[in-house]
Amino acid sequence: MTRENAPSKYPEYRKQLGPGWWLSNQRYTLYMIRELTSFFISIYAIIYIYQLSLLASGDFSSYDLFVRNPATIGFSIIALFFTLYHAVTWFSLMGRIQVVKLGPKKTATPLQAIAINLLLLLIVSYAIVYLFILR
Amino acid sequence: MDKVKKEYKSDKLHALLWGVFSVGGFIAAFLLPVLIYIDNIAYPLGLWPVANSSLIKIVFMVSLLSTIFVFITIGGSLFHGIFRFKTTLPELGLKRASSLISAVGYIIIAVGLIALAYYLFQLYHGFDPSLFHRII
Repeated sequence: MTRENAPSKYPEYRKQLGPGWWLSNQRYTLYMIRELTSFFISIYAIIYIYQLSLLASGDFSSYDLFVRNPATIGFSIIALFFTLYHAVTWFSLMGRIQVVKLGPKKTATPLQAIAINLLLLLIVSYAIVYLFILR
Repeated sequence: MDKVKKEYKSDKLHALLWGVFSVGGFIAAFLLPVLIYIDNIAYPLGLWPVANSSLIKIVFMVSLLSTIFVFITIGGSLFHGIFRFKTTLPELGLKRASSLISAVGYIIIAVGLIALAYYLFQLYHGFDPSLFHRII
């Protein structure tokens, strides 16, 4: 039990929230969409491990059938969209946590932090493609 | 004194898990998009840079560097995704089941990481390219 979960000697008065509380405000909705990107990232990781199991068993035709299945491709496109959404929100968060100095008085805004990190994402992605495929 | 020590250990573990979660967030943001694109979009649809070459997919998987890359990318993303999802579910009305959700989440992470390491190890050590040519 952590300190924050320890029972308090004073009664707490917290507003009880229903499961749909995040739909009442656009900011809350965006927050929840950001949090739910984790669902797609997790499912993709589990699917990828399953794909590896097919490859490791030497069953390449099953692997090929599974990867070329329209449902797998469709889910992968959705997963890529949510992963990129996660990336943009993560980069925005980085701009708020780690303030980057652009001059003696000027610091990078969250939008500038997103732009710099998106550029970095493109460079890293191309480097991986070059290293593992194009080289 | 014992209680304070226990709390300190628990808080330390808590901070460590959130630290791994944060690293996983960076991995999912910087490395996962390109892996999804190459393996599950470009390869089956025959797009750049794989362009319908099926053998390249297997080559991509069996070098030491690519094995480490896949382990870090999928392992880090799995940890980040499940850890975040297990803290989101209580906010969606499942607060009473948060301990159970947490336990299931850690089990999925542990089993997933072990399976990932096992299959990558099998692929790295036991891969026979001639078998691939005979089947496809």
